[in-house]
Amino acid sequence: MLNFTLRRLNLLFFTLLMLSIVSFSLSYFFPGNVLVNLSGEVNADQQRTEQLVVLYNMDKSIFHQYTAYIGQIFSGNFGLSMSSQMPISYELKTFLPATIELCLSALFIALFFGVPLGFIAAIFHNKPLDKIILTFAMVGYSIPVFWFALILILVFSITLSWFPSSGQLNLLFEIEQVTGFKFIDILLSDSQYQAQALKDAFMHIVLPAIAVATAPMTIFIRLARTSMLDVLESNYIKAAKAKGLSQAHIIYHHGIRNSLVGIVRLIGLHFANLVTVAMIAEVIFNWQGAGSWLIESIFARDYTAIQGGLIALATFTFFINILADFLYAALNPLERHKQHGA
Amino acid sequence: MARENIYQEEEFPSPIKQLWYTFKNTPVAIIAFGCYLFLVFFSVFGSFITPHDIVENNLDKLLVPPAWNDDGDVSYLLGTDDLGRDMLSRLIHGTSLTFGLSFVVVFFALAIGGIIGSISAINRGIKASFLNHFLDVILSIPSLLLAIIIVAILGPGLGNVLWAIALVSIPQFVHVTRNAIKEEQKKGYVLIPILDGASETRVLITSIYPNIIDKVIIQATLAQSAAILDIAALGFLGLGAPIPMPEWGSMLANSLDLFYIAPWTSYLPGLAILFTVIVTNLVGEGLRHSLKIQKDR
Repeated sequence: MLNFTLRRLNLLFFTLLMLSIVSFSLSYFFPGNVLVNLSGEVNADQQRTEQLVVLYNMDKSIFHQYTAYIGQIFSGNFGLSMSSQMPISYELKTFLPATIELCLSALFIALFFGVPLGFIAAIFHNKPLDKIILTFAMVGYSIPVFWFALILILVFSITLSWFPSSGQLNLLFEIEQVTGFKFIDILLSDSQYQAQALKDAFMHIVLPAIAVATAPMTIFIRLARTSMLDVLESNYIKAAKAKGLSQAHIIYHHGIRNSLVGIVRLIGLHFANLVTVAMIAEVIFNWQGAGSWLIESIFARDYTAIQGGLIALATFTFFINILADFLYAALNPLERHKQHGA
Repeated sequence: MARENIYQEEEFPSPIKQLWYTFKNTPVAIIAFGCYLFLVFFSVFGSFITPHDIVENNLDKLLVPPAWNDDGDVSYLLGTDDLGRDMLSRLIHGTSLTFGLSFVVVFFALAIGGIIGSISAINRGIKASFLNHFLDVILSIPSLLLAIIIVAILGPGLGNVLWAIALVSIPQFVHVTRNAIKEEQKKGYVLIPILDGASETRVLITSIYPNIIDKVIIQATLAQSAAILDIAALGFLGLGAPIPMPEWGSMLANSLDLFYIAPWTSYLPGLAILFTVIVTNLVGEGLRHSLKIQKDR
């Protein structure tokens, strides 16, 4: 396990190193002054510019500039947003939790419905039910999220008016922002309408979470189906059958447990896809998250915000990746002794 | 098994032909392939067969519903948008933008990714290891995020979006080509040309490529469905095709305001995207299925 941990941490280190190099080089790729791109201080006067030159080592070689940049990132200074002149770290603190909240609830929905459906399809392999689930998976995988989100809004908010169409919480509730996670903030607040606020926040997250969850869910359906089919063909299942165990017993005790292990490994891999979908859904549902903030900052040519958003979203995806890897290694001892990563 | 026709030359079809023989026996896949060819036809000849010009405004016919509606007009089969432009013509023309360009993008990415993948498969040691780690990093960044960053560098516009999506699709082809070549190199038949004195490049081109092309093509169909969605998504976000162009994603974005009074302006482009992506995915899925059947034999 120690070897495995070191290997993963090495990968994480390398990944973050690459990411920081990419992010640093962006300030050279973006149009405009490099120093302004790095610091985001558009209106700096002569004196401030001199300070910034020293801060970012702009008078030294590019390697020194990079180390200075890394130093600034680690001290939490991502520069100022070019459009709002607020610190990027402050904006990230406001917007990133909303994205994490949306992504995690979508992941939960995708797993909660996707994996059992995949298992059902595998158990009824080549029967009508399998075909129906596979067709559903194909359509769900192909549907463009922005269009699906619009249809959800049309059906559930406009026609049926079951769920609100945009935002995270009704403005009537005055919830003080502490962590940025709406649900945690509501629980921390001492508002007398806590229960109603919770219910309202829940109603707001349903539609975006469904829109984001659909594509990953269909991936999980297929993963779970393949994984279960593989397990059901293996020798220990045959042994269990020969022992005379009932089909339900075999599926529950041997099938599900063994095939779940294989799925955990792939969750991390498909999380990047989920974050992508979430970015688009945020724009449509007017969800105040990092994705919609990033897309707005492209229109505003806010290069510091783009850099900060890239670092934040990519790091978030990496951490979920690594987390899934660890979970998989904890569940599957065979993986820990592999000398080379896949 | 005793051979009955000893005078007839025995035929060993190439892997791609074998794949086709299995593929054409799957009804769903062959229907999807027919639709795929239909889309290819539209994207090549689309601009010649449209009933109306794509930017022609007919101010007397604003927001005409599709012909099956009571208020519809049969000369505007799928209705018109808020500027009186014919939806059918725009959708047909959009095929070449959304579907046709995704084809070009994937072909480009396949060529570049295949070359890099082959080079990395031949090389060993630090170079290959560095490339591997680099690919891991690129593959774990959300593809659309990366495309958005590239568009931010290059500036919005359809051409830049295509570059961005091509760049983003390259790593998966590197990955697939590299792994497939590595797998083939372990097999026995590769040893024979090496013993004959063929160079590594020659072995790669004459012996290995014909045997991995099926895997690469399958990856290409998957990449194409992702590319269609990405082009449409960036168009929808307003970073891709400019407004008068009938790219399906930007058509959808334009129709957002009309969503309630003229729903056909938004559900038709959406259905077009959905249809195209499903067809592409079904072709890919059919190919993958055929490959699996062949392996099981």
